[in-house]
Amino acid sequence: MARIDAENWEPKILAFCCNWCTYTGADLAGLNRMKYPDNIRIVRVPCSGRVNPQFILRGFQKGYDGVLVCGCHPGDCHYTSGNYFTRRRFLLMKRLLEYAGIETGRFQARWISGAEAAKFRDTVLKVTEEIRALGPNHRMKEADDHE
Amino acid sequence: MSDVQNTLRDRVRSLLAEGKISCFIGWGPTRFKDRTIPKFANKPEDAGELVYNEHCLSNLAKYALDFQFSAEVAGIAVRGCESRAINRLIADGRLTRSKLYLVGIPCEGMLENGSTAEKCAFCRHRNPVVYDELIGEPVAEQENPPRFEQVLELESASSEDRYDFWQREFAKCIRCYACRNACPACNCMECYTEQYRTGWQGKQANTLENSVFGFTRAYHIGDRCIECGECERVCPMGIPLMKLNRKLVKDVESLFGSEESGLSDDASHALGCYDKEDLEEFM
Ligand code: SF4
Ligand code: FES
Repeated sequence: MARIDAENWEPKILAFCCNWCTYTGADLAGLNRMKYPDNIRIVRVPCSGRVNPQFILRGFQKGYDGVLVCGCHPGDCHYTSGNYFTRRRFLLMKRLLEYAGIETGRFQARWISGAEAAKFRDTVLKVTEEIRALGPNHRMKEADDHE
Repeated sequence: MSDVQNTLRDRVRSLLAEGKISCFIGWGPTRFKDRTIPKFANKPEDAGELVYNEHCLSNLAKYALDFQFSAEVAGIAVRGCESRAINRLIADGRLTRSKLYLVGIPCEGMLENGSTAEKCAFCRHRNPVVYDELIGEPVAEQENPPRFEQVLELESASSEDRYDFWQREFAKCIRCYACRNACPACNCMECYTEQYRTGWQGKQANTLENSVFGFTRAYHIGDRCIECGECERVCPMGIPLMKLNRKLVKDVESLFGSEESGLSDDASHALGCYDKEDLEEFM
């Protein structure tokens, strides 16, 4: 296998997408043949409220350069209030991550509905570019020999 | 203070003799003049061994959990920090108010190695916020102690420096979990660190896993920390854990406008509820 070096490095981004909105939005983007970077690895979750803030830390530990959490717009959660809790949780977690020394921008969250295929594409494009600009993440990452 | 100690002994003696309580949790002597340890008085004659002086550093509240399944009433000495911890434990459904008899003691701050203990320096509630009887007169509260000074200082450092700071600190951690055991907000029946099979937390005592433990623990209690400073006091490696906890306390206060934890036994806490008008950053 070719070694990853500065020349061919590509950001690896972990995205948690709620089944009812963002995942459907991503699906729609695919149906519409919209092009977005393949740097993103989607994990489908039943609701953004399913995303335990520890998943974010684990993502960085396992070598992701960025983590994205996406769900329905506030008010639209399939389970009525899941994403209101998500919002509180991640407002706090985002600040804690920054305090812990993870660079601003490595963790992001977005509300994307099932109809917003274009917003999904634009978000992935934008987040990928932002993380590319930050470069490979070494902070909170397990030693390379774990890979 | 010796007055308080005498009154405390007398009161505990009669409470035990009258059968109002089955046990009293207070402080007792050690071999050293400037150290005390938690002490359980079970019989009226034990009351004479209780100690109260400026070296009573331990927060006793967590020991009340030893009586959570007991049918009898347990007595406990509560200063500001213990009283808030007791409220926290009641709010979290771990203790029942009617099974506790709280003997309140207003506190002017404890001494650690001759000067005001770190954990008392930023205290805003020296008088117990809940009690059944009070020993001694209420004391004046400290006016706006700079609780968040250290947090603001670290916040203003660069991201890289912050990272290095915490990794350097957690490199020292030996994962004894003393911080968790002493913490009145860490009161889960089963801690996530013990859920081996789920794999939430790597067992390796290396810097990375230690810091993951540290950040996760802080987050778990972020909206419930009562700022008693026990975690930091008991840490054998001198890791400034309150600098982490207070970051969360500060953000919880400024983001969600919550009041300090443990002022009442009301079960609502910031991450267990929401407001539709919460700050929107994820649009
Ligand atoms: S008390 Fe200190 S050394 Fe022990 S687990 Fe907590 S942070 Fe680590
Ligand atoms: S179902 Fe989409 S956020 Fe809850």
